[in-house]
Amino acid sequence: MELNDGEEEEFGFSRNYFLAKDLAASGKKSTHKLSDINLVDEQELRAAASNIEPKHEKEIVSLIDSYKSLYSRWVFMLRCGFGLLMYGFGSKKALLEDFASTALTEYSVVVINGYLQSINIKQVVITLAEVLWNQCKSKRKTPSRNLPRAQQPFNSRSMDDLFAFLDGSELKENDYFVCVVIHNIDGPGLRDSETQQHLGRIASCSHIRMIASIDHVNAPLLWDKKMVHTQFNWHWYHVPTFAPYKVEGMFFPLILAHGSSAQTAKTAAIVLQSLTPNAQSVFKILAEYQLSHPDEEGMPIDTLYATSRERFLVSSQVTLNSHLTEFKDHELVKTRRHSDGQDCFYIPLASEALEKLLSEINQ
Amino acid sequence: MAPSAAAADSSPPSSPETTENRLQPFFVLHEASSRKPERTSTGTVKTRKKIDFSPSKLKNVEKPDVEIAKEGGDEGYGNLRMDAFEVVWSKIESTIKDVLRDINANVFNEIHQWVRDSFSTIRSFGMLTFREATQAFPIVTDASSKQLFTGLVLTKNMEFVDDLLTFEELGRHLKSQGCHVANLSSLDFTAKSGIGGCLRSLLRQFLVAPLDAADISILASWYREQGNYNNPVVVIVDDIERCCGSVLSDFILMFSEWVLKIPVILIMGVTTTLDAPRNILPSNVLQRLCPCMFTLGTPSERMDAIIEAVLVRQCSGFSISHKVAVFMRNYFVRQDGTITSFIRALKIACSQHFSMEPLSIILKGFFLEEDRQGLQDGLLLQAMFKHAFDLPSYGRNKMGEENVGSFAHCLSELKRSQTEWRTVVLCLYEAGKGDRIQLLDLLCEALNPALYSSRTSGTFTKVDKGHGVSPSNNFPVQQHPIMRKGRLICQAVQKVRDLPIAQLYKLLKRWEELTVDINEIHAKLKELLSVIKLENGRSSRQDMADSSKRPVSRSQLNIEKESRAVNEKAASLIECMVRDYMQPVECSPLHEIVCFKNVETLQLALIGDPRRRIQIDLLESYKILRCSCCSRSGHSLLPSLHDTSILYNLAQEHGDHINLHDWYQSFKSKVCSSRSKGKHKSKQSPLPKKRKDMNEPDKPCEASIQARFCKAVTELQITGLIRMPTKRRPDFVQRVAFGL
Repeated sequence: MELNDGEEEEFGFSRNYFLAKDLAASGKKSTHKLSDINLVDEQELRAAASNIEPKHEKEIVSLIDSYKSLYSRWVFMLRCGFGLLMYGFGSKKALLEDFASTALTEYSVVVINGYLQSINIKQVVITLAEVLWNQCKSKRKTPSRNLPRAQQPFNSRSMDDLFAFLDGSELKENDYFVCVVIHNIDGPGLRDSETQQHLGRIASCSHIRMIASIDHVNAPLLWDKKMVHTQFNWHWYHVPTFAPYKVEGMFFPLILAHGSSAQTAKTAAIVLQSLTPNAQSVFKILAEYQLSHPDEEGMPIDTLYATSRERFLVSSQVTLNSHLTEFKDHELVKTRRHSDGQDCFYIPLASEALEKLLSEINQ
Repeated sequence: MAPSAAAADSSPPSSPETTENRLQPFFVLHEASSRKPERTSTGTVKTRKKIDFSPSKLKNVEKPDVEIAKEGGDEGYGNLRMDAFEVVWSKIESTIKDVLRDINANVFNEIHQWVRDSFSTIRSFGMLTFREATQAFPIVTDASSKQLFTGLVLTKNMEFVDDLLTFEELGRHLKSQGCHVANLSSLDFTAKSGIGGCLRSLLRQFLVAPLDAADISILASWYREQGNYNNPVVVIVDDIERCCGSVLSDFILMFSEWVLKIPVILIMGVTTTLDAPRNILPSNVLQRLCPCMFTLGTPSERMDAIIEAVLVRQCSGFSISHKVAVFMRNYFVRQDGTITSFIRALKIACSQHFSMEPLSIILKGFFLEEDRQGLQDGLLLQAMFKHAFDLPSYGRNKMGEENVGSFAHCLSELKRSQTEWRTVVLCLYEAGKGDRIQLLDLLCEALNPALYSSRTSGTFTKVDKGHGVSPSNNFPVQQHPIMRKGRLICQAVQKVRDLPIAQLYKLLKRWEELTVDINEIHAKLKELLSVIKLENGRSSRQDMADSSKRPVSRSQLNIEKESRAVNEKAASLIECMVRDYMQPVECSPLHEIVCFKNVETLQLALIGDPRRRIQIDLLESYKILRCSCCSRSGHSLLPSLHDTSILYNLAQEHGDHINLHDWYQSFKSKVCSSRSKGKHKSKQSPLPKKRKDMNEPDKPCEASIQARFCKAVTELQITGLIRMPTKRRPDFVQRVAFGL
């Protein structure tokens, strides 16, 4: 009987797929263009986006509150050696951090923001080792045999050594671990298989427990059976929160944003890194101007030229123009007409994304 | 990135930093506070009191949990359970380990013998002179000395997860026999790290001290110096099919050059067929290998052994209900097929049992015969009794007054019936072994309380064929109502009937060993055995063994008839055992203490189904949010729904590509309909608008609708349910999931 259920399900699935295909084929394919919508100006759109009034605030709060009664069970499962994997619609960032800061006070907690674009996993592992080391030290008077380890700083050790330390046999006690909270373990910064392998190795260390969230429906495809069963050892929890994906969605382009030319901080950073240092500096001037004058339409070309010249970045208007053309080609910069009739330049990114971008190219 | 991390380290996790933390790749939320004694658990306790468990998920069984937690103190009580879990689980775990080791013992010994033989063959090529040995390059005398002895271990298992443990064990075994062993995984043979990667890994494992240089001569000098000279070097690669072929070839070529200096013996796991090495290695490399083949036991053999040791034989006292057993069998057979996952499921079941069942702490002292110091606490004891008498199974089998005495009595009864149950199941398993009855399947049947009650209620009186809708229609035993369902049990009993006398004797002997604890059965068995002995004595003269080949004589017929009678007696004995002694755990009072029954939570914990569940979340968001505004109408979309939920519901009406324009328009009309219809709700106050505030307060302005649309699309994109427009189709998004 159950077998039939399975087959039925599978059948239903394929049928749905073909129905959807069919629908697309039979129904006159809609030829409406996105541009048929009376799109509002991008600035306005962004402003409106940051002011969306939340629905069901009360219910969401009480939903998230209802999970608090499960905290003690979650801790129990962590202590049993499982990793907790939270899924369900809605941002789980606040939930996880609340859990960590109320129920996991006796363990150190390190948080990884997987929704960000790039995460240096080695740095994470070094931090974990340092935290564990501190925890050991505070636990008991530093045993002398461990001293030589302390002398070699963690950040000069190899990954394998660090893993060996985290998996360390020198710390005998069982119930003794550092918790790693990973928001969006399926996020863009962690999605590649090498990083996932590293995360798997982190999770399998005896002094580490992992609490992670996923949002993507296909997230489990990131892991093979070895990782699932022997490393992450997930205990799944379905905890929909319906909380808005504020931070998680920060780096996604707005689909109705003008031209919808999927411009993200990431692509911008990649493009910028391929340009000359002078061009990058010109871009920085523009970005800093935009950040310090958030209400203006953009930076007038004269001002840009003057500042760039002052800093010996360009020697003539021609050079500046060639830089600007390059920017425009890559859609890093756009122009619009100032109220006084002058052309001015702006970067089509939200200020938060812009800050991130600046910090990225400053490195 | 380092400086930013350091900054995060130093900053205390107070509120102003949170925005900054959001953009840190990672940060330290807090360091461990002072340890347990002064743990501030007030937060959790308070919330436990304040918030009721959601009624849908948690049954009333849990309520006392909270009470006890309050009375006995959350902390101490949680730790008690944790301790109990650790004791029980470590018992189970070590049992499993022993079982697996025993299963592999033969192969391991075989492999060890082969390693020794190969090593002496390498040695026979001649000892090196001191000069030769200290040179930093390989020695080659003739072609045959370039052969690398290679053991191919067929794992008979497509899933290499189970074998990871096996190879680890193999390594340990060989190490204990004096070999130098290194375990490499397929991750060491990637094209990215190349040959240097595996060398480094080898050096790490042999030399222990970390080295930066990856040079094989280091390995050679290590081998020469350390007095390692009399033992072979064994390199175990767990899964050859997942290795990068070219790196593995280089590895083999290199070590075959060095084999005189470093007598490396390779052991490689092969999951598919013996062709595997031929498929991934070129012929010049294959020539260097001198292969030998070994075979591991099949997963189902291992499975049966584990089930027997952990769930059927007396192990930890922890047991599972029929439903859980069926679920775990299906999970093993259909979903995953690895022992590892089965053990994991068992561990989840076990830990959930301890986290949800307050009385589970008894398990520690009760079955493992340890001290019961946990029960000395009077307050806790009181609470526990109260809880115990509230258990549904206790109420069902009304056991008179509720006092400590009856409680203890119940427990010992439970223990006794469990022992009897174990014995009968083992007897059945022994009987069914010839028929390849899997213990896991048998276990599911033996745990089924419905079968048991049908057996006991129907007694021997009369057959009512109306009920006989059983899968065992073909079996003559069908007449016996005790066997009405239970296909495998019937099969096992039938097997007893059909067994030749010699084998029956063996089987009865086994039963005799198994049933020492049940006197009545034991006595009956003795009787039966003596009958057979008598017959054996008679038949030995006529050489029963190959009677089939001879013409059937009269006396022969006689004997056969008599042995039939013996078979019949044995069969009815086992039938009676099944009826009287095989009481599934769920039929005993207080079984909740030892038996994990909550199959739903197990399933949820084990198989997260994000693809399906996230869609359900979206399609039926009002059910989860339990708001008053959206649940009113059954199917029509209400504008008060969560935006993303509206959008995803609308997406269902489209084909595999969704025209953005149409999608937006329908979204807009949905959202705006709220304004005309549902003004009275005042749920949504007019949006605060920064710029264009002049619109009529009723209608959300275009910008805000567009922003909401964008946000909803972004959220769908985060969940992976749609794909963004491509260059080729800029006006369409693509649907990814069809159906749940």
